[in-house]
Amino acid sequence: MSTILQLVVSGVLIGSVYALMSIGLTLIFGVLRIVNFAHGEFLMIAMYGAWAISHWLGLNPYAAAIAVVPAMFLFGAIAYRLVVSPGLDKPHLVVVFATMALSIFLQNAALMLMTADLRDVPPIFARSISVGSVYIKGELLLGFAITLACTIGLQWMIKRTYLGKAIRATVQDGEAAMLMGIAVPKIFLITFAVGSAMVGLAACVMLPLFSVFPTVGLNFVLIAFVIVVLGGMGSIEGALLGGICVGVVQSLSGYYVAPAFGQLFFFLLFLLVMIFRPNGLLGQKGAAMLGMNE
Amino acid sequence: MRSFLRLGAILVGLSLAATIPAKAEDPIRIGVLLPMTGPLAKNGIENWEAMQIARDMINERGGINGRKIEYLQGDANTPNAAISETERLISKDGIKITTGSFASPIAIAVSQAAERHNVFHWETTGAAEIITRRGFKYTFQVGAPARKYGQAAVDFIVNDLAKRLGKPVDGLKIALLWENRAFGKSVGDGIRAYTQSKNIKLAYDEGYDQTATDMTPIVQKLKDTGPDILIAISFPNDAILFQRKAKELDFNVAAFIGVSAGYSSPDLRDSIGDSVNGIFVADFPPKVNETALKPETKKVAEEFYKRYEAKMKRPPAGHASAGFSAIWALYTEVFPKAKTFEPDELRDIALKLDLPDGSLVNGSGIKFTNFDWPDDAKDAGQNLRASIGVWQWTKTGNEEVYPPELATKPPAMVPLPDWSKR
Repeated sequence: MSTILQLVVSGVLIGSVYALMSIGLTLIFGVLRIVNFAHGEFLMIAMYGAWAISHWLGLNPYAAAIAVVPAMFLFGAIAYRLVVSPGLDKPHLVVVFATMALSIFLQNAALMLMTADLRDVPPIFARSISVGSVYIKGELLLGFAITLACTIGLQWMIKRTYLGKAIRATVQDGEAAMLMGIAVPKIFLITFAVGSAMVGLAACVMLPLFSVFPTVGLNFVLIAFVIVVLGGMGSIEGALLGGICVGVVQSLSGYYVAPAFGQLFFFLLFLLVMIFRPNGLLGQKGAAMLGMNE
Repeated sequence: MRSFLRLGAILVGLSLAATIPAKAEDPIRIGVLLPMTGPLAKNGIENWEAMQIARDMINERGGINGRKIEYLQGDANTPNAAISETERLISKDGIKITTGSFASPIAIAVSQAAERHNVFHWETTGAAEIITRRGFKYTFQVGAPARKYGQAAVDFIVNDLAKRLGKPVDGLKIALLWENRAFGKSVGDGIRAYTQSKNIKLAYDEGYDQTATDMTPIVQKLKDTGPDILIAISFPNDAILFQRKAKELDFNVAAFIGVSAGYSSPDLRDSIGDSVNGIFVADFPPKVNETALKPETKKVAEEFYKRYEAKMKRPPAGHASAGFSAIWALYTEVFPKAKTFEPDELRDIALKLDLPDGSLVNGSGIKFTNFDWPDDAKDAGQNLRASIGVWQWTKTGNEEVYPPELATKPPAMVPLPDWSKR
């Protein structure tokens, strides 16, 4: 019993961290209808940023978020201007290849600048918290809280603010939104930058948990794609749910079946959801088709 | 017009080629295939440093019969890249000798491309058994085959650890955890077969994917099994994740033996700090007891360690020492006997080598199989005298602890203190 409890608790916590890293991807997809294949590398760069700040300035990686999040906002805005926006009015594949090229470029740039060494920060909390027979890592619990706060905060932003309204209008009908005086290109830019900033925050939460190296993004990007599709493309609370599902499935199947099949099972879950709920768990109907037929 | 130009270019090329005959002082060109970028680059670059030191040392000694060694590099960062880079060096640069390649999947690919062109491949540290078991003529693997790594770990438990833990071998609960790609699987298979032959039962035996991002299920299952000794085959990133998770879930063992790769990576101390102390590593020896070496080898070893530490600011890991040892043997035992440097000639020389243990810097000798190995009639070019043993992470660096003849210190920190006391 304590084993299953431990597995579920750990699964939920790590899943919420996966979710935090996927929110940026789902936000960008939901609004721009493009998939950022360099998402994993954005995470890698932000992790290096957080590492540099905590390593050289001796700051706590969570405090590094104060610098990393705005820096990633800016980085996202620049990447959007240089790489994404020139391809937006061209066939879909152009953006796919552009972001893929960006991904390979960033990986190799990181390899040249940072070498293939693994970089880490020392643990924040010396010991894990034990509740009965269940052990909880402080860093993971904090990650869970931050993810919840972000999900609620972003929801509030989208539902209650003018910017959120403009974003929703852009999603519903880009042309009509433009006719109503919404600067759609600007909304795109802001969304891409906010999505990147979210990755920056995720990086600060993940740095105490994972080593950073030039190809670290590859270990996470597949999980992020699964979460985004599972939760419903463009749905933020769907990403949270999807992340937790992936975390728990991975944890349970790793224990009860075999660790080597951990990925197999969340892809199985992914396939089942795709067959029975093609728009994801919380996705809007036709999400995948939106914007495709323009 | 264009075809005329092309013809002209060919003619000029031919006449240039005709005017430059091969001279005795032409360098001996070797294709070095190592992962220089990508996830394996860390170890690839370390091997490259060791190889450069070997080249410099031999060239400063006047080269081989007056001919200098020259390297042409290929970036073998994935098996596919390894094949295309090997092909490039062979077909474009006319390379007839290749070496490398650190990791087993890369070694498998490079040797395959080399064999296809009848090129002589001198493998330094690749370990998977399959490398020499495909009936290839020109592939020589100087490092130990994968099964030896695991055997060293098991022998260490049987001959040393059991006594130190005060338990009979059949009273010990032994767990085996392996990453499920070429190297980990190969070593894991070797350990399983070897323990079975010794009537030792494994209490836990599971493979996992090295890109796994959550170690909870693995550590929890191990914790529920409660082994005395854990043998783990991991790469650096997953080794770190595992150690952190073991601390988080308070999973303790009396002895922890990592096998090469992740647990031998110098990064490990940077990442998990002093928790690394006490961990055993079954691996190529980074440095062996000097009394095990032949006197002339001892001198070469001293120079190598001095140069490596001056360059990299820390002692070499096991595979860097192994890389140096292997390439040094090629320069001092194979090349001086060669006249044409054609693969067939080099192959004959290599097969005749019969060097006792302690001939190479890391304590190895050389004797290659030649389709005469009882296990597998297709096995050729595997060095049967590659040294392998167990070393331990200590506060100051590392010490070879097993076998006794290579050991620089006896094992310490047995049993390993619990996480709460570390």
